[in-house]
Amino acid sequence: MNGKEFFTNRYLQLGWKFQEATPKQAIRINTTNAKGKNLIERLYANGIDLKKIPFLENGYWISNAKVSAGATAEYLLGLYSIQEAAAQIPATQFTRLSDKKVLDACAAPGGKTVQLADQMNNTGTITALDVNKHRLKALANHLERCHVSNTAVYNLDARKVPQLNLKFDRILIDAPCSGNYATDKNWFQHRTLADVERNAKLQREILTQCAACLNLDGEIIYSTCSLEPEEDELNIDWTIKHLNLQTEAVGCPGEKGVTNVFGKRLDASVEHCRRIWPGETQGFFICKLKKRGDNA
Amino acid sequence: MKPIINFAAQLGATITLNPDFTVKKGNRYFLLNSNLNKVLRKDFYYAGTYLGKVKNGKFFPSFALLTMLAKKEANKIVVDRKTAWLFICGRDIFQKGITAVQGSRQKGIHTLVLNEFGECLGFGRIIRTLNAEEKGNEVAVKNISDVGDFLRRET
Repeated sequence: MNGKEFFTNRYLQLGWKFQEATPKQAIRINTTNAKGKNLIERLYANGIDLKKIPFLENGYWISNAKVSAGATAEYLLGLYSIQEAAAQIPATQFTRLSDKKVLDACAAPGGKTVQLADQMNNTGTITALDVNKHRLKALANHLERCHVSNTAVYNLDARKVPQLNLKFDRILIDAPCSGNYATDKNWFQHRTLADVERNAKLQREILTQCAACLNLDGEIIYSTCSLEPEEDELNIDWTIKHLNLQTEAVGCPGEKGVTNVFGKRLDASVEHCRRIWPGETQGFFICKLKKRGDNA
Repeated sequence: MKPIINFAAQLGATITLNPDFTVKKGNRYFLLNSNLNKVLRKDFYYAGTYLGKVKNGKFFPSFALLTMLAKKEANKIVVDRKTAWLFICGRDIFQKGITAVQGSRQKGIHTLVLNEFGECLGFGRIIRTLNAEEKGNEVAVKNISDVGDFLRRET
């Protein structure tokens, strides 16, 4: 059995029949910067036609473009970011972000960091970490271009976040993951189950250390662009059982988290998660976790 | 902070920075907000608003700083749409592309470059005294830095 047969057979067992997918290009308007600037009309005048993404407040598909969306004056001025539609969802799932202490645990290249800052209207603080030093340059460029002013960036492994001696109200863990075939044409050729299991272990370590830095009543949004349940539902099932966190409903399109994974029965609350199979968007998995206060 | 204040002066602007909220990391300057100031550790890579860096004794402003200065009284030119596009592609500015001038018009002076919407695209040096009557094909403002740099950095 080759890699593609192996993995697509697993997807079938999870209830989804494999199909080829080419995600549409999407942008997200940085509302803090674009307010009152008629951005959609300006882009139309430049030859870029947009179509509203129904499940995102500030997201638009690029339906037609005569010029590169990454080379307009409006892009360079930080009025919008190029961000895949499913990747725009995680940051929108937090309850109220203004004035909060936010951790972006695996931040580079910074698309979601900028999105968080925009939703916070640059209030509060974002602590953005990335273990990979050469990716910090892209993150810093992104923050500068989009006029983000509430963020501190550290070259730090998310598993070492307790070293900062900070507690957070909101934590985004857009975890390093195995990815999916929709954004990597050779995915089936170079990925193995061993990669998936190695990533799942790393993700649990990140979840553990981030949970230790979460305030009571705080929220974690955990997301991956992996379709593999080891990195998704199985990790959340483990989290519920080991880290004193509870899932909450995620408000976005997609299917409920799978609670029967290859014959293993998971905690019923895992179905609060959302699993987005590739189609118009890439594949994505999103989970909202909450640390309940004593009176909850 | 002196390099930043001196740079602003070159553009005919004045800037006041709270020294408690302005930090230098290596050769780079950052402006913090009060919340960040309380939690920032010394080993940060980037924080708050990046203001610019000093290299070989010369100050290189960030676009955030230029945007801040553009909101103040300063030397500014407004350019037409075509000129704005050419400017962010790294080109110099012809006299005929300038639609308005604020502040100094004198040769040798630095000026901010704004598009038709009043957004700051960068800055340059006036190399030919700006005359409202002239609409020629001569370069009037030499490009020093423009927002197209964000793309050029990536390549």
